[in-house]
Amino acid sequence: MARILTIEDDAVTAREIVAELSSAGNTVEHVGDGREGLHKALTGGYDAITLDRMLPGLDGLTLVTELRRAGVETPVLMISALSDVDARVRGLRAGGDDYLTKPFAPDEMAARVEVLLRRQRSAAVPTRLALGDLELDLIARRARRDGQVLELLPIEFRLLEFLMRNSNQVLTRTMIFEAVWGYHFDPGTNVIDVHIARLRRKVDGGDRPALIRTVRGSGYMIQAPE
Amino acid sequence: MTAEMAAAAASPEPAPTHWRAGALRLIVIYGAFFLAWSVVLVGTIHWQTLGYLDRVVGEILEQRAHYLASVEREHLPAMMAATDQLDLRGVMYFGLFDARGAYLSGTIDRAPDGLPADGQVHLLPNGVRATNGERNARALGVALILPGGDELVLARYTSVADRIGAMTRSAFFWALSLLLIPGLIGGFLLSRGPLKRVRGIEAAIAPITHGNLGVRLPLSPRRDEVDMLASIVNRMLDEVERLLGEVKGVTDNIAHDLRTPLTRLRTQLHRLQQSGGAEVHAALVERCIEDVDALLARFRALLRLSELEDLSRHSGFDTVDPAETLRRVQELYAPLAEEKGLTLALESDTLPPVSADAALLFEALSNLVDNAIKFTPAPGRVTLRARVEAAGPRIDVLDSGPGIPAGERDAVLRRFYHRSDDTGRGQADGSHGLGLSVVAAIAKLHGFCFEIGEGEHGGARMTLYCWPCSKAGARVG
Repeated sequence: MARILTIEDDAVTAREIVAELSSAGNTVEHVGDGREGLHKALTGGYDAITLDRMLPGLDGLTLVTELRRAGVETPVLMISALSDVDARVRGLRAGGDDYLTKPFAPDEMAARVEVLLRRQRSAAVPTRLALGDLELDLIARRARRDGQVLELLPIEFRLLEFLMRNSNQVLTRTMIFEAVWGYHFDPGTNVIDVHIARLRRKVDGGDRPALIRTVRGSGYMIQAPE
Repeated sequence: MTAEMAAAAASPEPAPTHWRAGALRLIVIYGAFFLAWSVVLVGTIHWQTLGYLDRVVGEILEQRAHYLASVEREHLPAMMAATDQLDLRGVMYFGLFDARGAYLSGTIDRAPDGLPADGQVHLLPNGVRATNGERNARALGVALILPGGDELVLARYTSVADRIGAMTRSAFFWALSLLLIPGLIGGFLLSRGPLKRVRGIEAAIAPITHGNLGVRLPLSPRRDEVDMLASIVNRMLDEVERLLGEVKGVTDNIAHDLRTPLTRLRTQLHRLQQSGGAEVHAALVERCIEDVDALLARFRALLRLSELEDLSRHSGFDTVDPAETLRRVQELYAPLAEEKGLTLALESDTLPPVSADAALLFEALSNLVDNAIKFTPAPGRVTLRARVEAAGPRIDVLDSGPGIPAGERDAVLRRFYHRSDDTGRGQADGSHGLGLSVVAAIAKLHGFCFEIGEGEHGGARMTLYCWPCSKAGARVG
């Protein structure tokens, strides 16, 4: 159960954000003004913040800069109508942890917030990840399923690592492409699906219970079998 | 045959020479009219003067002849000699001949041929032969028969008139030099100023033709015709810039406006799907979401294209190793190619680094590979090939597909253009007809040359030359 602060001046967008994050079981507080938002963010002890880029009172970039200067490391998802790459770079440089362009799909927004929350919880850098009988040794770069070593290509290992770090969490194709390949454009066709399919054949091949699930209309999720 | 796409260099206007300049040309035309009229005027004066002088000489001759004819025959030779003494310039000649033409007395040796003895003045083109053997070029003569049957001949040379004629002609040539020398020098100097300013305007226009609409033509403090023209063009550029800004704004707005309701629609469908229901119902909803996602992707690409065409993003430029970018593109697309029954091969030399935006270069090459995979039937091959040429690295994406007909190579760059073998496939496979436009925009942003041609095995060849199209002779076909 996470506490999330939504700083957003547009009432309709704010309602969507609050509804989506609340439905995922979070407690969401909303403010529509930059100054009030900064005050709450500094004192409220939230687990994550969604921050509109353009706000009355104090703009989002200044707000996040002030927050970081005060030593508050709450993860911030910046949400902006400015879609160009320079705006994204500026937002992330100022101290934002992720950047989402308006208009956005609420499930993608929620997924991104979840990833930030997860990162917040596992602040210590792990050397190994595990999910059911799947283990990832991050130092030796080796994956094992049920004790058997999986022959993964470097790109497949990075993909699996991203899924495992965010297990039980829906990850959209865009999020996967951004995190694993590091690019912010639409790779088109079904290139990510093909990579997932290959990884799935290696991880879930044979008679093993499936760990990598397709979430219809959204993306993928790795989850221990029930 | 190839179709050039990005950053095609406009062939420069031939540099105007001084001889083509407006001021000089006007002076030359004016000079030609002046010359023609001068010839007519001076010619008229010349011929009228000569005619007048000939008439005066003729009258003198006639008077002399009638006077001498009235003198008694025995006194005539003495009178002729006395008259001759008075002719200090030696232009008058006299002759007395008998009825058979034999010389009797005077300074003319022989009666000139073709001079009728009618008492009228006639022109003697060959002059007369004097007793001292002299012969002048041109003379006027008169001959008459005396009552005794002898023939009296008088002649006067026209040398005075001829000298005046020569003076008129030389005056004409001096006048001509007055026209030609200051005219040509003045014209050359006059034409230099405007030509220099036209060159200045030409230099100012160069960035405008390359898309920088913020530049204006230079104005001088003189406020002359060139300035008037430049300020008219500047006003026009203001308007063009404003309109283009509006059009771009409208395009962006359309994309934004459409994106919002589509996103809402997608949200509703997503909620519907979450709320549960029959399996068929869920599948239907999923297809709807996929369709909406495809639409959203299309608009994202449109906005992306608009952003790229703004030519504003230079912050990401750095030194990039194209071979590494190619390796990553191959890593991303090899599984997709294999899934389709194609081989995605990488043939790369060691390449020198280029100044580029790594993310955009990756995006351009991804689009090319994605496109090649899409249009190559299985079993087939897509090759990423990088070579070093004199001007820099050259990257080819070759495929074993049907290729792009020469006539369609420019058209495939148009937004939302669908190839003739692509009927209805666009949406189904997620392509949005913008991939190659994005590549062309990225190439233009980098100052690279992008070309579509034919590969050695008949398929399409998409080539990214890491140098401008205008760099003549640097490209090897």
